[in-house]
Amino acid sequence: MTSRQGRFLRRVAAMAAKEVLHIRRDPRTLYIALALPVIMLLLLGFGLSFDIERIPLVVADGDRSAASRELARAVFGSRDFAAVAGSDARAAQTELRRGQAMAALVIPAGFARELDAGRDSPVQLLVDGSDGNTARQIMGKIDAILRAHGGSRAGFADSPPLAVKVSTLWNPASRSALFMVPGVAAYLLAIAAVLLTALTIAAEWERGSMEQLFASPVGRLEIVLGKLLPYLALGMLQLLLVISLGTTVFDVPIHGSLPMIFVAGLLFLTGMLGQGLLVSVLARNQLVATQAGALSSLVPSLLLSGMLVPIENMPWILQALTVVVPARYLVHALRTLMLKGGGFQVIALDLLALLAFAVVILALATLRFKRRLA
Amino acid sequence: MNAIEAQELTRDFGATRALDGLSFAVPRGQLFGLVGADGAGKTTAIRALAGLIALDGGRALVAGRDVASGGSLVRESLGLVPQQSSLYPDLSVAENLRFFARLFCLPKQDFRERSARLLGITRLEPFAGRRADALSGGMYKKLALACALLHRPEVLLLDEPTVGVDPVSRRELWALLHEFVAEGMTVLLSTPYMDEAERCHRVALVHEGRLLLEGEPGALLDDFARSPACRQTAPSFETLFLARLEQADRERERGDA
Repeated sequence: MTSRQGRFLRRVAAMAAKEVLHIRRDPRTLYIALALPVIMLLLLGFGLSFDIERIPLVVADGDRSAASRELARAVFGSRDFAAVAGSDARAAQTELRRGQAMAALVIPAGFARELDAGRDSPVQLLVDGSDGNTARQIMGKIDAILRAHGGSRAGFADSPPLAVKVSTLWNPASRSALFMVPGVAAYLLAIAAVLLTALTIAAEWERGSMEQLFASPVGRLEIVLGKLLPYLALGMLQLLLVISLGTTVFDVPIHGSLPMIFVAGLLFLTGMLGQGLLVSVLARNQLVATQAGALSSLVPSLLLSGMLVPIENMPWILQALTVVVPARYLVHALRTLMLKGGGFQVIALDLLALLAFAVVILALATLRFKRRLA
Repeated sequence: MNAIEAQELTRDFGATRALDGLSFAVPRGQLFGLVGADGAGKTTAIRALAGLIALDGGRALVAGRDVASGGSLVRESLGLVPQQSSLYPDLSVAENLRFFARLFCLPKQDFRERSARLLGITRLEPFAGRRADALSGGMYKKLALACALLHRPEVLLLDEPTVGVDPVSRRELWALLHEFVAEGMTVLLSTPYMDEAERCHRVALVHEGRLLLEGEPGALLDDFARSPACRQTAPSFETLFLARLEQADRERERGDA
């Protein structure tokens, strides 16, 4: 190692050690880094669940036969529905209107007789359509139950001509948590990482210490790297926390390579911390840096990462924008590694994109970081 | 040989000309005072000499090197005490010193000896563990001075180091500066206090970014005492500088007319 390289490393280490002291003495930093992601993951992990269970359903049994009771038992036999008392179709509609039930299954009189005669015996399903997503899920679940029940009884209309066995791969129970937790992890890391570094260079400008730094031999890259490293370590701790919570609290499996999850996380955090540094370099003011940092990380990682809405469903212009959103690649990498399994081969392109973003954004932050006060 | 050379320094901030062809030179081992009222251009001149701002014209040389192109060689040869707070308030006295020593890559043994000496002469030793934001104004300035001196700079630039400092600390600060100059260091400081001029080897009066007067304090006073502008038997630097500032304003008004 030449003495020039040695001096470079010593100055980077000096900046990093100073930053560690700031972090240790500022509870806000530790809160943003460690407590915020945990609280947010718990809130979003539970709050953003699209799973619906124990849907209140009223059965208006107009037939009161063994066959109609058998059908009702089949419906309530799954944990998807909870019984709401009701007598006839009119009472069922009243329960729907009052919001006591979200669906009503109306079994007409003569249901058993028609079945016994081998004829179609239609039943009516009334669904509260004010929440389209829930309504679609109710219709899907009832349809599946009726088909299964009809298959065993024979005689239901619309029995499928072919027996299709549907298997949902990687998330057989279609649990939202499995889909959401990797996405939420990327979202939280993005916000925390950008906010952490957005404040750090702006704080140097505000407290006047930048003047003293610029008067010393420390270089721009040394300042940027020295500020980046401690937050990178903190970010990796965040990632570990988020992944641990995901696997323990939300039972999200990790079928793929754990080291690759951390490699993807490391590259993503480097890019997002670099984005925070760039914001900080441009803003020179902690208030503006916080707002710009939050906006530049929150909106893209929430809406353009594929976390909530599949990228393929977006208008083409937004799809094009997602190409420069690093959260998109981490969401894909985490979902692939955690749910589907595999290692480097399956996320190589994601890693490449994250690396490219990190290099470009750090180069930009360093170049825009002028060694001048005015 | 000159340790500092300001050659026709010019800098505009929008429509305001902060430096207007300012030129002066400071020989090695001298204490040079840049005196002027608020807004005269002293801070801009010091920042230009430290390479903290780009110049629109002219050239600044420190320790024989052009500040614009000298890079870290220039920065290693100078120490700066800015006007505003420049240290880390949440770091202790010792931590601030250690940080700046590491930026200058001072060997550990060298740092131990140097910081012990600087803490001793600035009387900050008992406060080594105290946070910088808990220091008094005078102690804070002394800490800033100690941080700037750790690496034994050839040239020390101080921007209004005595502003906001009590008289006792002020006297101590001047004594320290003379001690460093006696060891061979070149010191340039700015001050709005005209009476501090006599403590310098040479002074320059700056007004609206231009040099109005430069010379040894004693010689300047003698010349002034003999001039028709002097109406006192024992003129002070304050009366000298105020008379020169009034003359400059009259000349400018005549020029405007």
